[in-house]
Amino acid sequence: CRAVLPVLALALLGLAAAAGPRQTPALELAQELAEELWSAGLPGDLPELEPECRSLLAAFAEGSAALTGCLGRRARPVRLCQGCHGHYRRLLAQYDSIASAVGNSSESHNCAKSILTSDRLQIVVTLSEFFNETWEAANCANCLKNSSEGLSNSTEEFLDLFNKSLTCFEHNLQGQAIDLSPNNYTEVCKNCNETYTKLNDLYNHLQRMNRQGGESAHSAHLCIDVEDAMNITRKLWSRTFNCSLPCSDTVPVIAVSSFILFLPIVFYLSSFLHSKQKKRILILPKRIQSNANLVNIQEKYS
Amino acid sequence: MANVAKKVSWSGRDDDEDGRAGETTPLLNGTGPGAAGSGRQLTPSPFLRIGQLSNVDLNEDIHELETEVPRQRPNEIPHNEKLLSLKYESLDYDNSENQLFLEEERRINHAAFRTVEIKRWVICAMIGILTGLVACFIDIVVENLAGLKYRVVKDNIDKFTAKGGLSFSLLLWATLNASVVMVGSLIVAFIEPVAAGSGIPQIKCYLNGVKIPHVVRLKTLVIKVCGVILSVVGGLAVGKEGPMIHSGSVIAAGISQGRSTSLKRDFKIFEYFRRDTEKRDFVSAGAAAGVSAAFGAPVGGVLFSLEEGASFWNQFLTWRIFFASMISTFTLNSVLSVYHGNAWDLSSPGLINFGRFDSEKMGYTIQEIPIFIFMGVVGGILGALFNALNYWLTMFRIRYIHRPCLQVVEAMLVAAVTATVGFVMIYCSRDCQPIQGSSVAYPLQLFCADGEYNSMATAFFNTPEKSVVNLFHDPPGSYNPMTLGMFTLMYFFLACWTYGLTVSAGVFIPSLLIGAAWGRLFGISLSYLTKGSIWADPGKYALMGAAAQLGGIVRMTLSLTVIMMEATGNVTYGFPIMLVLMTAKIVGDYFVEGLYDMHIQLQSVPFLHWEAPVTSHSLTAREVMSTPVTCLRRIERVGTVVDILSDTSSNHNGFPVVESNPDTTQVAGLRGLILRSQLIVLLKHKVFVERANLNLVQRRLKLKDFRDAYPRFPPIQSIHVSQDERECMIDLSEFMNPSPYTVPQEASLPRVFKLFRALGLRHLVVVDNRNEVVGMVTRKDLARYRLGKEGLEELSLAQT
Repeated sequence: CRAVLPVLALALLGLAAAAGPRQTPALELAQELAEELWSAGLPGDLPELEPECRSLLAAFAEGSAALTGCLGRRARPVRLCQGCHGHYRRLLAQYDSIASAVGNSSESHNCAKSILTSDRLQIVVTLSEFFNETWEAANCANCLKNSSEGLSNSTEEFLDLFNKSLTCFEHNLQGQAIDLSPNNYTEVCKNCNETYTKLNDLYNHLQRMNRQGGESAHSAHLCIDVEDAMNITRKLWSRTFNCSLPCSDTVPVIAVSSFILFLPIVFYLSSFLHSKQKKRILILPKRIQSNANLVNIQEKYS
Repeated sequence: MANVAKKVSWSGRDDDEDGRAGETTPLLNGTGPGAAGSGRQLTPSPFLRIGQLSNVDLNEDIHELETEVPRQRPNEIPHNEKLLSLKYESLDYDNSENQLFLEEERRINHAAFRTVEIKRWVICAMIGILTGLVACFIDIVVENLAGLKYRVVKDNIDKFTAKGGLSFSLLLWATLNASVVMVGSLIVAFIEPVAAGSGIPQIKCYLNGVKIPHVVRLKTLVIKVCGVILSVVGGLAVGKEGPMIHSGSVIAAGISQGRSTSLKRDFKIFEYFRRDTEKRDFVSAGAAAGVSAAFGAPVGGVLFSLEEGASFWNQFLTWRIFFASMISTFTLNSVLSVYHGNAWDLSSPGLINFGRFDSEKMGYTIQEIPIFIFMGVVGGILGALFNALNYWLTMFRIRYIHRPCLQVVEAMLVAAVTATVGFVMIYCSRDCQPIQGSSVAYPLQLFCADGEYNSMATAFFNTPEKSVVNLFHDPPGSYNPMTLGMFTLMYFFLACWTYGLTVSAGVFIPSLLIGAAWGRLFGISLSYLTKGSIWADPGKYALMGAAAQLGGIVRMTLSLTVIMMEATGNVTYGFPIMLVLMTAKIVGDYFVEGLYDMHIQLQSVPFLHWEAPVTSHSLTAREVMSTPVTCLRRIERVGTVVDILSDTSSNHNGFPVVESNPDTTQVAGLRGLILRSQLIVLLKHKVFVERANLNLVQRRLKLKDFRDAYPRFPPIQSIHVSQDERECMIDLSEFMNPSPYTVPQEASLPRVFKLFRALGLRHLVVVDNRNEVVGMVTRKDLARYRLGKEGLEELSLAQT
C-alpha cells in the first residue's frame, strides 16, 4: 500500500499541472481522479489521505503549476522577479501550510508527514526545493521590497530608466533598417548617451551598494531582471550600435611607454661605461703545491 | 724566504728538514710584532714554528708568496663564478667537549635536562606562532595596500578612458610602482643588503653550515618584511612566499636565543641554547615553519628543511620541526579566518592557496601522463633558459651595479617598466570577456564593451598570487590563446629581470605564474587539437605547467613535490607532479644548475654539496689541507695569543693545541683544538696562570661565560692586555676541545668530505703518524673542488 501513495500523488500533481494553465478548478478534478482510482479496486481500509490534506496538496499542485507557467513564459527576456513573485509567495504559503498542518484524526497522521516524508521520491519537497533554488539563483529578493509585495524603489527607478532608454533607442532608429552600416547609428549614440549613461551609472551604483551590504559571494549579484535588462541594453549599445569608446590616445601612450622602456637601456649602458668594474683580490692559499694543483688535477682527470 | 719550497718538502714528511725549515723560516705572518715575538719563542721546537702560520682561513701573504710562486697570478680579477669569498665562515656545529662542558653536564641533573627538552618544544611552538603571525601581517598589509593601489589606478584609467589622456594613467601607474619600490629598495640597499632576494639561498647556506653575516638578525627580519610588502605592492613580478622562509628562520634564531642583540635586550631565558649547534636546529625549524606558512604545507616545510640541512638530522628534531610547521600553518589559518570574517573556518592554510582541485573534470587519466612528462621537458628547458639569462644579468649586476644608489635606481626602473609593459599589453589587447559575478577583483573595461572586462588585465592588473589562482580556476574560455602567449613571454622576461634586484622578493610565485600561463595555453591548444575532449581542462594543465616551470627554475625535488601537493590539497596529483618535477630537473640540469645554487655560487659562498666531486678519490688530505698551521701550546704566553688573534692578515678561528714541552726530543703531538671565540673570552676574563696562583681570580670560568658572549664575540682589539699581562701564561687545557676530529694525510678527499659534511665540522686537523699537526682542512679547502664542464676544477679564493 506504500507504493500506491506516490502513484496517487504523482497522478494528482501531473493532472494539476496540466490543468493549471487552463484555469480549471484543479481541486475538483483531483477529487474526481481520486475517486476513480478508488473505485478501480483499492481496498477501503487503506490509510488514505485526509480530505483536508488532499485539498492542501491540490492547492500546492495548482500553485506550482501556475509558478512554472509564469517562469517559463517570462524566461526571455527575463522578467521573473517582476512577474512571478506573487505566485512564488503564494506557493511558499501553501508549502508552509502543508508543513505545519495537522490532520484531524491523530498525531501520527498529520498532513506534513503523509505528504512530505512518507515515500522515497518526496516530490513535493523536491518541487519546493527547486523553486526555492531558482528564486535564490535569480536573486529576486534583491529587487523586491522586504516582506511586502512589489518591486523595491531602486528597481522601479532602474526599470523606469531602462524603458526610457529603450524608447530613446526606438525613436532614433525610426525609419532605419537594422542592417544599416554601423556608422549610421552615431545619431543614437549622440542622442541617447545621456539616458544610457544615467542607466549605466545607476546600475553600477546599485551594484556597489549591493556589494557593500552583502557579505557572501552570492549576494554580489543584483536580481536577474535588472542584470538582464542591463545586459540587453549594453549589448545593444556596444555591439549593435557600436557606441562604446573608441581606442584613443595611441600616440601619447606609445610615446610615454617607449620613453619609459628606453630608460633601462640608458641606465645599463651608462653604468657599463661609467661605473668602475668591481675587482676581486685573489688570495693565494697556503698549500702544498698550491700552484701546481690545478694542473695536476687537470692532468689527472681530463 | 724559501719557505714555500721548503714547506713542500717539509710536508712531504721528514722531521729533519722540518726542523731546519722551522728555524730558518720567518713567520709568514711576520708583519705583526706578535708573530715575530712568538716566532722567536718558538724556534726551539720545530712544531711550534707551525704555530705562527695559520690554517683555518687561507691567509693572504700574497706578497711573500708571490716572490716564490713561479706562475704569478693577477692580483685583481673581475668577479666570476669560480671564486670563494673569505667573507664567509663556518658554523661550529661540533660540540666542544671540554672540561667545562663535562662539569656542567655533571652539575645539571636529569630533571634539568628534561626541562631543557620541554623548553625546546616551547620554543618550537613560539616559532610557529610568530611565523604565522608575521605571515598574516604580510598578507593583510599587502592585500590592503595593493587593493588601494589598484583601485586608484583603476579609477584613474576609467576616468581617462572616457575623457582621453590615457598616457596620464600610464604615468600614474608607473610612478606609483616606482616610488613604492624605491622605498622598498632603499631600505634593503642601505640598511640591510642581506635581506635582498628571496632569502632561500642564504638559508640554504646557513643550514649547510655557512655563517652569512647578519642573516639571522632582527633588523634583517624587519627589513625583509617591509621590503617584501613594498615590492609586492610595487607591482614587481615577485612573490611573498620565499621571504617567509627567511623570516621564519630569523624568528627561530631570535627566539631560541632569548635575546636580541639588535635591540640590546636580554630576556635571560633559553641561555642553554646559545651556541651554533642549537641555534641551527631551531633555524631549520623556523625555515620549515616559514614554508608551511607560505604554502600551507607543513609536511613540505619539514621536507624542505630535511632537503637543505639533512646532514644534521635526527628523528626528534624532525618531530619538533613538524610541530613548529603545524603550529605555524594553524596560526595563519585561524588569524586569517578571523580577519576574513568567518572565524574558525580554517580554510586559508597558506599565503598562497591554489584553490580546490577536486571537481570531476580535474581528474586525470593514464593517457595524460606522457603529456605531463612532455610538459616537464618544456618546463626544464624554459627554466634553464631563465637561469641562464639570470646568470648573465646577475654577473653584470655584481660587476657594474654594486653601488647602493645604482641598485635603487635599477629597482625603480624595473618597477616602472613592469607597469609600462602591463599597461601596453592591456591597452593593445582586444580580448574582452563578460564579467561573471565577482570573480575578477579589479575588472578593467578600457575599450571593451560595457559589461565586459579586458582579460589581459586579470593577469597583469593584479597581484601575482591572485593571477596564479585565476589561471588555475577560471572556467575554460576565460583567456584567449593570444593573451596567454603574450603574457607568458612578457612575464618570463620581467620575472627574470626582477630576480636579483636589491629588493626582498621571492621567485616562487613568478615561476608558478609563468608556468601556469603556458600550461593553460598548452591545455587550450590540446583541447583544440582533440576537438574538445572532456579531459582537457585547461586549469589542470596550468597546474602542471606551473609545477614544471618552478621545478625547472629552482630544481627542488622532494620538498617541492610535497609543497605543490599540499598547496593543491589533492593527493592524487602527487604522482603527475612528481613526474613533472623530475623531468624538469633532469632536463634543466643538463643545461645549467638551479637558480638558488647558481646564486650561491655567484656569491662565492663555500657551499658543501651532498657529496665530494665524483672523480676526486686520488686527491688526498695532504693536497687538500692548508699548511702550515698556526698552533698554540697548551700553556701559552698571553702575548703570543694576543698577537696571533690580532694579526689582521689571518683571521683564523680554530687553533690546534699542541704539547707545550719545548724539548726537541719529544714529539709535540696534537692535544686539542681551541676556537678564537674561546680565546677571546679567556683573555677578557684574564684567566692567566699567574693570577690563579695569586688567588686573584674570583671564580672559575663557567660555560655560561662563553654563552653570554655568543654570538657576537668582541673583537680582539677591544680587549686590553697590559704589557705585564703579556708575559703571563695561559693554560688552555681546561678549555680546549680535547678530542678534535683528525684524519691522516693519506685520507682521500671524498672521505674527508664525508666526515666534514656529516658531522658539520668546522676544522679538521690533519696529523701524521706521530700525531703531529701537519695541516688543517676547513670548509673552503673542500668547497673549492667542483665538478665543472671539463672535469674537476678548483676555485680561487678572493676577498670580496
